[in-house]
Amino acid sequence: MRMDTVIMGGGLSGLACGISLAKRGKRVAIVASGQSTLLFNGGSMELLGHVNGKAVTNPLEAIATLPESHPYSKIGADRIASLAERIKLLFSDSGIEMTGSADANHWRVTPMGVAKPAWLTLNDHLRIDDLNNLPAKRLALMCIRGYFDQPNAMLAQGLRDLGFEVDMIEFTTDDITALRRSPSEMRATSLAKHLVSNNALRRLADQVNSLAGDTDMVLLPSVFGQSDSSDYQALQAMAKKPVRLVSTLPPSVAGMRMMTQLRHYFRMLGGTYLMGDTAVSGTFEGDRLTSITTAKLADMPLKADNFVLATGSFISRGLRADYERVYEPVLGVDVDADADREQWTHFGVLQPQAYFGYGVATDGNLHCLKQGKPIQNLYAIGSVLSGHDAIKMGDGTGVSLMTAIAAADHIRESK
Amino acid sequence: MAERMQICNLSENNFEQCTKCSICTTVCPVAAVTTDYPGPKQAGPDGERYRLKDPAYFDKALKLCLNCKRCEVACPSGVHIADIIQHARMSASAGHHASLRDTMLANTDLLGTMANLVAPVANATLGLKPTKLVMDSVMAIDKHRTFPAYSRQKFTTWFKRHAAKQQDAFPNHVSYFHGCYVNYNFPKLGQDLVKLMNAIGYGVHLLEKEQCCGVALIANGLYKQAKRQARTNAASIRKAVNMDHRTVLTTSSSCTFNLRDEYPAVLKVDTTDVRDGISLATRFIYNLVDEEKVKLVFKQDYKRRIAYHTACHMQRMGWQLYSIELMRMIPSLDLQVLEQNCCGISGTYGFKKENYERSQAIGSILFKDISDAQVEAVATDCETCKWQIEMSTGLPVENPISILADALDLDATRKANGID
Ligand SMILES: Cc1cc2nc3c(=O)[nH]c(=O)nc-3n(C[C@H](O)[C@H](O)[C@H](O)COP(=O)(O)OP(=O)(O)OC[C@H]3O[C@@H](n4cnc5c(N)ncnc54)[C@H](O)[C@@H]3O)c2cc1C
Ligand code: SF4
Ligand code: SF4
Repeated sequence: MRMDTVIMGGGLSGLACGISLAKRGKRVAIVASGQSTLLFNGGSMELLGHVNGKAVTNPLEAIATLPESHPYSKIGADRIASLAERIKLLFSDSGIEMTGSADANHWRVTPMGVAKPAWLTLNDHLRIDDLNNLPAKRLALMCIRGYFDQPNAMLAQGLRDLGFEVDMIEFTTDDITALRRSPSEMRATSLAKHLVSNNALRRLADQVNSLAGDTDMVLLPSVFGQSDSSDYQALQAMAKKPVRLVSTLPPSVAGMRMMTQLRHYFRMLGGTYLMGDTAVSGTFEGDRLTSITTAKLADMPLKADNFVLATGSFISRGLRADYERVYEPVLGVDVDADADREQWTHFGVLQPQAYFGYGVATDGNLHCLKQGKPIQNLYAIGSVLSGHDAIKMGDGTGVSLMTAIAAADHIRESK
Repeated sequence: MAERMQICNLSENNFEQCTKCSICTTVCPVAAVTTDYPGPKQAGPDGERYRLKDPAYFDKALKLCLNCKRCEVACPSGVHIADIIQHARMSASAGHHASLRDTMLANTDLLGTMANLVAPVANATLGLKPTKLVMDSVMAIDKHRTFPAYSRQKFTTWFKRHAAKQQDAFPNHVSYFHGCYVNYNFPKLGQDLVKLMNAIGYGVHLLEKEQCCGVALIANGLYKQAKRQARTNAASIRKAVNMDHRTVLTTSSSCTFNLRDEYPAVLKVDTTDVRDGISLATRFIYNLVDEEKVKLVFKQDYKRRIAYHTACHMQRMGWQLYSIELMRMIPSLDLQVLEQNCCGISGTYGFKKENYERSQAIGSILFKDISDAQVEAVATDCETCKWQIEMSTGLPVENPISILADALDLDATRKANGID
């Protein structure tokens, strides 16, 4: 089968790249094994959160100071601002409503109650533009009885440390109580599936309205709307106070929602999304990749003019490590990693870990290298790339999106 | 040494690979609509720990599983969750007898043979209100269900009378596992396949002996019978593939998945040696076209707007691409590919009274997508999805093979492939 472009990996980066190409009428197939790390996402995109341990206020300025090996530098620091606008458009075209700007970080709040710098945040999630000018004075932190994926005490303490007054209010509704029959499955995504009918939302709004007292804003865990924001909107319409959502421990409803919306938009544009299939190998001819093979379409190589590797980092199996080496398992392209295993990790879970920065090696145009030589029609994007660190620098989703669009541009310009 | 340790640790159905991430539960269509079902993680790998300790531990809720395999498709760790659940149901059912209703629903071929003999009467009777009410109360088959109409003439009878003789004359050959649905309910699909294959130079042949693939038997706990039938089919398929060198084609995604994967995984009837010789017809034809071995010439005026629904087992096999891309070759067909949601019928599951409401709730997302798509028909590779979608949306549902056969310019195709 022949496509214009075949993308390996269907997470944030693969989908963003696929949408960008399909929108220009290209025939694109995405091979996507399983779910992606968006299921850990708390409803925000980060461009650059920290440099040398210090919170970044203006990402665009800070990006200009990054080393050459960082993916942003490969794209060109001067292009980031215009790409950022295109990415915002891509989200709104997909029906994902977010707010933020590339030259001024705002703050998102983690499930543990820690404020972290962010670039874009879903409109229904708690967003703090200015720590000295909080969006509300007194918060009603609504805690669902029997729901353990929101550490309420820690969250309340964190919010108080930020300067909010917090009333912790435990509540439940009949619909939620019914879910407690299998307590181990009472997760954000299960709640979101059962809090959908108007009646269920009405019962919830009634509880919120009667319990929220004199507070200025109601906080609820992010358990609304797996496929779009309409459940949240219905709830907000019935609630008497402004309602904001706070992210929960994974699996994340916000991430699931964004994944669904991006995938839906990609399909609408005519893209082919091969869910549950895995790219297993590739055939090279000189400095080009001619086809890849997947596990389920074993007898039919997928041929294309261009290929994109968007298989994510270790957690998504885009990178693998055994007792001797770190490697890229599908195509065997070069990786940037220490040869000496002793250097991979450092003692202490919270210590910076060298392996976080490992990834596929690319030239200045995001071409993958194989035995040091660039493969002219193969690009790497997202977490599979070396030279960045989502945990330490808060640049994960930004790198995924920026490299996705930059690679799509290279592909369009290539002959 | 270290590598070896990892190999030795591999457990049956990859059970130990579970990282408890809960991703499987997020995609389970049953857990989404009822709190009676704890979801794949709890029913599968978690429950398995208890069952390993105490084989008597069995949760009745496992009966609610559709065996749709969506959990397996989503699991990032490759755990065969639905297989774990099927095995648990199987061991728990040893010694129990299936109810009359389940036995009747499961025996699609027995029911078919009887009904074919009296098709006009059966169709009328099965459709009558009093009959439906009796079935509802005595048999616990939901009264909302319409039984698929039975055909007066079986596919095999038609084939032997009208098609068999011509088949040897073609330069290439395939075998056809038609399945119960084509044989008893909808011979037209089989006729369409014969028409299509003949036009590209392939003779179609029946298997030496075909029995119902048994997908409904498995679902209804009639494992012994399923195993017997699986052995018969495996032998016939082996003969076709190994002795006659013919690929065995199917036109139903569930039969295909059952023959290729469930036989070895669930029934322990090994078909792995001939697995590559069993193929859905759309996949076989797509590959021929892709390798430029045959040409399809379509009518220019086949103007229709159709939505494609990926059946659960189709998604599990990852083969939807073949059906979709083949239909995309039809120049004036406007094909909308729907999001992959379960229709809720899952074979005989939705026919049972106790499952009816749940079945419709599961399908509701898909039905809404279909009505939003504003199409005149729906295409899918599964016959039970067809019944469910036709009943729930009122739109006609067609197999991609029938759509292709309809859209094909037969004379031009024959000519392009050198057949006269
Ligand atoms: C626990 C965790 C928390 C995070 N939190 C944040 C955060 O708060 N903010 C932030 O900005 N970033 C965060 N990140 C990083 C962020 O998730 C990523 O930067 C970004 O979403 C990665 O997108 P991606 O598409 O590059 O990779 P992934 O999301 O990893 O997607 C890769 C996809 O490729 C698939 N795949 C892998 N191999 C194959 C193959 N051979 N064939 C087909 N498909 C394949 C995988 O199944 C997966 O679906 C976090 C990451 C993790 C792991
Ligand atoms: S998705 Fe797989 S790994 Fe995750 S809980 Fe389910 S079975 Fe376990
Ligand atoms: S097979 Fe389908 S119904 Fe059964 S547990 Fe898995 S996802 Fe749920």
